[in-house]
Amino acid sequence: MAVISANIANADTILDSSGNLNPYKKRILNFAPGDPSSADPVGRQFGVHVSEIGKDENAIRLKYEPGSKYADENGYVPYPDINPQLEQINAMSAARAYEANVVAAETTKTMMAQVLRLIG
Amino acid sequence: MPVLLGEGFLETGRMPVLLVACGLRRDRAMGIIDQLNSAGAMPVLEKMIRFAGARHTLITHNIANLETPNFQPLDVDPASFQAKLAEAVDDRRNVNGGVSGGLEFASTREVEVLSGGRLVLNPRTSSGNILMHDRNNRDLERTMQALVENASMFRVATDLLRSRTTMLRNAMSERVA
Repeated sequence: MAVISANIANADTILDSSGNLNPYKKRILNFAPGDPSSADPVGRQFGVHVSEIGKDENAIRLKYEPGSKYADENGYVPYPDINPQLEQINAMSAARAYEANVVAAETTKTMMAQVLRLIG
Repeated sequence: MPVLLGEGFLETGRMPVLLVACGLRRDRAMGIIDQLNSAGAMPVLEKMIRFAGARHTLITHNIANLETPNFQPLDVDPASFQAKLAEAVDDRRNVNGGVSGGLEFASTREVEVLSGGRLVLNPRTSSGNILMHDRNNRDLERTMQALVENASMFRVATDLLRSRTTMLRNAMSERVA
């Protein structure tokens, strides 16, 4: 969700933090199964982790703004090629997956409590 | 991660020590513990809890990977496990009427029984779902349904096991529930 928010927030960002012309590159999050940070060998097989946060270097669209000081010799300014509608759909999908994981965690907690009540 | 029962439910307590302290020989004390562990439906309930706990790990793994490209959900068939469990219960009933005695649960392709009764699941990938554009074979509704059904099975087994252990506790303390 943080990556999607950053993409939406920077949909029109054409300068980098130093003020140079360097359009924001769309970030792409990749997941992979397993949890390498787990101390338990069995635990390493289950779960999910972020394998990488990549940049889409080609996600640039040229916008015709001949009056801009950042325009090239043909009058085009490079903007990030970020589709806000697509990012919204990704955000909804991420929120849905987040909710499902919360339900799974709640169910796990309930099952643990049921087992603990056996000895209580 | 789910909590599974130990090698034997009542062995984890101080029962053997208490029985030895009461003047019983250790082997006789362990014999009593074994009989308590295998009385009535307790072995069946223990197997159900172990299976549901292990399957819960698989289902939560599937939920965690809902957005993972190329991920294929893993699961085992609870119906085939229950059919095998029913066979084991029938065999036990034929031997001694089903009142006591251990449950001989044979390993299957999906459910392997280790020493001490621990279950290891060998899951398969499901093939009935729609393949998404990221080549993930997810089906959120079906996965959540499996989660709830499995948790219900776990709850039924733990509730029944708790009623059995409460009965035993009442008998030991000479109380009427």
